[in-house]
Amino acid sequence: MLPRRPMSAAEEEELPALDLRLTAENLEDLYEQAPCGYCSCLPDGTLVKTNQTLLSWLGYAREQLVARRCLQELFTVGGRLHYESFCAPLLLLQGQVREISYQLRRADGTTLPVLLNAQLLRDADGQPLLIRATLFDITERRKYEQELLRARAEADAHRALLTAKNEQLTRINGELDNFVYTASHDLKQPASNMQGLFEELKRTATFHDPEAAPMLAMFDDALRQILGTIEGMTEVVQLQRQLDQVPREKIALQAITEEIIRNLQPLQAAAVDFSLDFRAVPHLRMPRPALHSLLYNLLSNAVKYALPGRRPQVWVRSAPAAGGLVLTVRDNGRGIDLQRHGQDLFQLFRRFHPEVPGSGVGLYLVNRLVRQANGHLEVASVVNEGTTFRIFLPS
Amino acid sequence: MDVLRRNNVTVSGAGTQAMVLVHGFGCDQHMWRLVAPAFEAHYRVVLLDLVGAGQSELAAYEPAHYNTLAAHAADVLQVLATLNLHDVVFVGHSVSAMIGVLAAIAEPARIGRLVLVAPSPRYLNDAGYTGGFEPADIDELLQAMDSNYLGWSGAITPVIMGHPERPELSAELNNSFCRTDPTIARHFARVTFLADNRADLPLVSTPALILQCAHDALAPLAVGYYLQQHLPAAELVILDTSGHCPHLSAPQATVAAMFHFLGLAAPPPDERR
Repeated sequence: MLPRRPMSAAEEEELPALDLRLTAENLEDLYEQAPCGYCSCLPDGTLVKTNQTLLSWLGYAREQLVARRCLQELFTVGGRLHYESFCAPLLLLQGQVREISYQLRRADGTTLPVLLNAQLLRDADGQPLLIRATLFDITERRKYEQELLRARAEADAHRALLTAKNEQLTRINGELDNFVYTASHDLKQPASNMQGLFEELKRTATFHDPEAAPMLAMFDDALRQILGTIEGMTEVVQLQRQLDQVPREKIALQAITEEIIRNLQPLQAAAVDFSLDFRAVPHLRMPRPALHSLLYNLLSNAVKYALPGRRPQVWVRSAPAAGGLVLTVRDNGRGIDLQRHGQDLFQLFRRFHPEVPGSGVGLYLVNRLVRQANGHLEVASVVNEGTTFRIFLPS
Repeated sequence: MDVLRRNNVTVSGAGTQAMVLVHGFGCDQHMWRLVAPAFEAHYRVVLLDLVGAGQSELAAYEPAHYNTLAAHAADVLQVLATLNLHDVVFVGHSVSAMIGVLAAIAEPARIGRLVLVAPSPRYLNDAGYTGGFEPADIDELLQAMDSNYLGWSGAITPVIMGHPERPELSAELNNSFCRTDPTIARHFARVTFLADNRADLPLVSTPALILQCAHDALAPLAVGYYLQQHLPAAELVILDTSGHCPHLSAPQATVAAMFHFLGLAAPPPDERR
């Protein structure tokens, strides 16, 4: 309680004389015509008094209800079940209930949604004496409550469906990886055998057809390509299996890039001008095999698809970007006609320069690795001028 | 697993024999406030919350496991075993009356007497049997529960739960007693109202007291008579009260009937609260 403070001058001023007809509320009328339902019941729910508003809502005459019916009998059967199992014990335990939602059953069988507030009065001995209840019409509110309930049920169903779908997809993915692995494994042996047998055949057999020599060369190429493709398939699956087990670590970009360039020597990387600049963002966090494979594929592509007759140049750099960093790998090579091939760029086993040996796995892997790191990539390219890959990775 | 923590078991009172009181659908052990103290002079009084209700460990409520009342009966027997109790007086309200029936059949040595408060072996009507309800009524109940759980997600453990003796703490908490997780309540409602334990009744050798309310919407008089006929050793007492919770609406009459059944001297003068 706040201490009483002295009244201000304004408060001491008498109220202006108002028209008493407006202010002198008739209590009986207030009760009967209140904008909510009022009723009083015995502890067992028997109605002893109800206001006109409630009677009008229900379509009953007073004598049909008072002393004859219980408050809970005015609800739907399910509502009554709820009242007996939740409300009645609560009233006796804590003396009141607030904002309980029920449907009143009108005389004509239709329902009216209401919120119930009730209070238990006890006699001098502490015995339950009377329940006073107010009922509020919530027709409109009930509509959007049901809309909310419906939306929630729908969201729950969607969530359950998504979970099931995700589990299914994960399983299928695993099965696909297993299939690719098994297929590549099973194809490798006979293809290697073919290569060995063919070498042996060329050594021992004589071909008289003038077309034989170029045909033999073509056969050799085709075999090499088969083996390269099988190699690529194996690589995709093996890398995936590795990634599932390797944790993310902090990696110095300069060191790993230099190491990759050394590994590119067989591709005549010595004749390539590399320019590295990782001063803006020297490190990033990723599973090491993932970053290694990503950079190796981009750099080896930059070297392999150099434009004949022009000294190859490759620029690799890092820079901060919104929410992470961007890695850029740019070359001055043949370029890709994105108008024609943009759709297929990251598809497994797609190739755009048949004159250069390759298996069509590199960019597929790059894209897969970037997605796994929750990043994305952009490609810009002009035919005969060069290509730029920009890889965005979240930090 | 700590069984006593799981079922939020509280023990009070003195005596060599124990009385375990198990609440019904829609509430928790607070329901026994007006009845349990009357027995503390004669018994070790054991109160518990069924898993999923009150302050039991809600995380332990696996719907698939608790799909039958037998799972709750097994929990009660685990509590009795943990406390090393035999020959107890089992008092079960509403759905827990049948949980007691199942426990007494499974381990008769643990339960010496059954007090079934407002029991029903089946709530749905059937050919030649009046349970009082149709399947549509149960769906309506579930709807009523849903519309009363809007806006708050479960797992609210009200402060008041720890202080039933201090109602002023409930001022900020609407309807703070007997709260439970809505998802669990919904599931338990289905298990409760779709159960049919009529076939179990003849298997009960334990002496039983049926406390039937004169006007109970959930368990009509016919159900009380049915139980008396089908339980091998049961006496029926009809309490002159309305509603489904005589231990709250007529605690003195409830205590008196129990005293008589248990062969105790007249109950102490009723304690006004």
